[in-house]
Amino acid sequence: MLAVQPSSIKRAAENRRPARTALPNWRREQRRAFTFGLLPALLVLVAITLGPTIYLIVTSLTPLDPVHPHSAADFSDPIGNYRALMADRRFLNSLEVQLKLSAATVVLQLAAGLGVALLLNAGSRFLEAVRTAFILPMVLPPIVVAVVWKVIFTPDVSPMHRALTAIGLPVHSLIANPDTALGAIAVADTWEWFPFTMLMVLASLQMIPAEPIDAARIDGAGRLALFRYILFPYIRPTLVVAGLFRLIDSIKAFPLIYVLTNGGPGTATEVTNYYAFVESFNFSYWGYGSAIATLMVAGVLLLSWLIGRLGVEAERDD
Amino acid sequence: MTLLERRLRRRQLLRAGAAAAGALLLPGRAPAQGGAKPLSGTTLNIACWSSPYAKLLTDYVPQFEEATGAKVNYETPSFPIYNQRIDVELSTGGSSYDVLNVTFIYIGRWIGAGWFVPLDPYLKDPQKTPADWEPGDFLPGATAAFKDPSGRLYAIPWTADIYMAGAARYDLFEKSGKTMPDTFDGVADAMKAVHMKDGIPAFLPENHYGWSFIPWLQGFGGNVFRDPPEDLTPVLDTPEAIAAADFFAKLLRDYGPDGVISYTYDQVVATLKAGRANYSPNGQIFLVQMGAKDSKVAGTCNFSMCPAGPKGRFPGVATHGWGIPAGSKNKDAAWQFITWAMSKPIIRQMVVERGYSSITRRSLIDSPEFKGKLTINGHDIVKIYLDTIALGAQGYMKYRTIYVYPQVDKQIDIAIQNIASGQLSATAAMTQAQQDSLAELKRAGIKL
Repeated sequence: MLAVQPSSIKRAAENRRPARTALPNWRREQRRAFTFGLLPALLVLVAITLGPTIYLIVTSLTPLDPVHPHSAADFSDPIGNYRALMADRRFLNSLEVQLKLSAATVVLQLAAGLGVALLLNAGSRFLEAVRTAFILPMVLPPIVVAVVWKVIFTPDVSPMHRALTAIGLPVHSLIANPDTALGAIAVADTWEWFPFTMLMVLASLQMIPAEPIDAARIDGAGRLALFRYILFPYIRPTLVVAGLFRLIDSIKAFPLIYVLTNGGPGTATEVTNYYAFVESFNFSYWGYGSAIATLMVAGVLLLSWLIGRLGVEAERDD
Repeated sequence: MTLLERRLRRRQLLRAGAAAAGALLLPGRAPAQGGAKPLSGTTLNIACWSSPYAKLLTDYVPQFEEATGAKVNYETPSFPIYNQRIDVELSTGGSSYDVLNVTFIYIGRWIGAGWFVPLDPYLKDPQKTPADWEPGDFLPGATAAFKDPSGRLYAIPWTADIYMAGAARYDLFEKSGKTMPDTFDGVADAMKAVHMKDGIPAFLPENHYGWSFIPWLQGFGGNVFRDPPEDLTPVLDTPEAIAAADFFAKLLRDYGPDGVISYTYDQVVATLKAGRANYSPNGQIFLVQMGAKDSKVAGTCNFSMCPAGPKGRFPGVATHGWGIPAGSKNKDAAWQFITWAMSKPIIRQMVVERGYSSITRRSLIDSPEFKGKLTINGHDIVKIYLDTIALGAQGYMKYRTIYVYPQVDKQIDIAIQNIASGQLSATAAMTQAQQDSLAELKRAGIKL
């Protein structure tokens, strides 16, 4: 066994390290200017994002209930809320509902956004006007979208239900039926947000150079082959990013559920953030609600990281 | 300070004092004296949930502004939004509001936590409350709900709402040989007879089952808590509670409109007024709107007391009142608003001009104006109103002001929805409601 001398290790390390040269004055000034310029923005960022997040986590370690203000400093059982959550049937059910809703909305929105983008990917004034019309749902205030769909889903006043009845296809209330309520919310959410995917994919499609498309056409590629071998590889990273954004946003679904179903029938549409809302603001268990919110933040961060990794790997494969 | 300046200040003070005294001595009338407006420069922020009364009051608030010079920011969000927003506001010691509605199911929580100020000092001060305002004129049952154990009063009740029953298309009952049902079995029988007559579904209560289901629960011999306020153990999984839930959910499922469990109180009112549903057990403040000018069923509606179950008749009696949050920075001005809004002249005006029906002043309840307005399509609502309030005095409503009732209220909503939508049997749903209620109460620190 060879004995390694500490001095030789130090020498080797110094050899690997690039020789430190003094920075010119202007570079030092530039760095200082950058630092001082960024500092206020960083402080604001810390104050408005990191501060509340830390407070949320701290609160989740207490049984805070505003009726008992002293409970804000009660750390006698810091993991009590988390332990209770693991045995909370409604919380576990809300996770399942959330997973179903997120999967449904992301898939539907990517499919609808991609499909419409492919249809609108041509240079014509008419299509440009149609594009603008498609963007409308996305720019409406979410509560307006919820009210629109409340009317559509209320059989008593719904034009959709009346039309279906008129053609001999009556449909029962979709939001009062536990088998269809979540699907109804997914449809409304898709209507509101597929334009986001559509815009991203459309932008991506318009960046594709004409040469490979022309070459494929000359080689006799049909529409399907053109999409599969030329267009899809180009837009795949965009779809991954759009999917990530929509996935994270799906976890924030709230106005539609609040207005359309209130989490019901029963708890059929009670997603995790709605449950956190009920515990925090209907029952005032702020500590418990904070624990739910903290787990949601952790989940979203984990998802972002995982999907980010997937995106990087997809690009590397390309 | 010069002598002239001192005199001016003294004169200004005297003038303002005289105007303020005038304002207080004449609640409900123009309080301004000698052109000075006592609350000029004062802004009052006031909120109440969107009850018919609160919406009516919107039209009268300018009278108060005109008389006092105060600027009033008045808002009426929906019931759940109001309660959530105000609960956060109060619990964080906010000072955004000067006058707030004390919601019935939050009385225990909001008053118990000291988030409202006692009104007794204002009531006892003749400078702030004139003798002819008569605090003793309010229904004792309604004011009792706003008192703490030591008897201090925290809100002035603006409503004593009762749970009763109304039929929008009573003509269809008559055609089927039925009358307004007086028992639960009678309801089931009548609903079977009139369901989908003229294409109209028979049964439509509001989907806040923590309110609309309780008379049925108690009518079957069940209750929410074992013995409130002493014993707060929930009793939602008793055979009586399960039988009540099964019966009520069957009415919803068999005779309700499509999507019945999604109908909020405002949707129920609109649907009844349009004649798109027939029979509704509901609050009086909502049902009497069937007699409004814009109602299509004003000529066909009928009313009755809440039907009785096998164990008796337990119609809900709810009250809401105006209170002053502890964080208000304009408490005296806030009290001026309350004395004005709850004065006899203003309430009489609302009764006569707009048919406001859920009043709390006994002298006005007994007045011919009120009786005249509460005779709808030839049916006397006043008798139903007074008989129900008398029943409410028996004490079966104690469950409702328990400070953790909102938690159990939500479990009841979920249970009835689960049964009516076919997700769970009555036994499974009520057992689950019991378990979830126990968990919520444990979370609130209640030892059971």
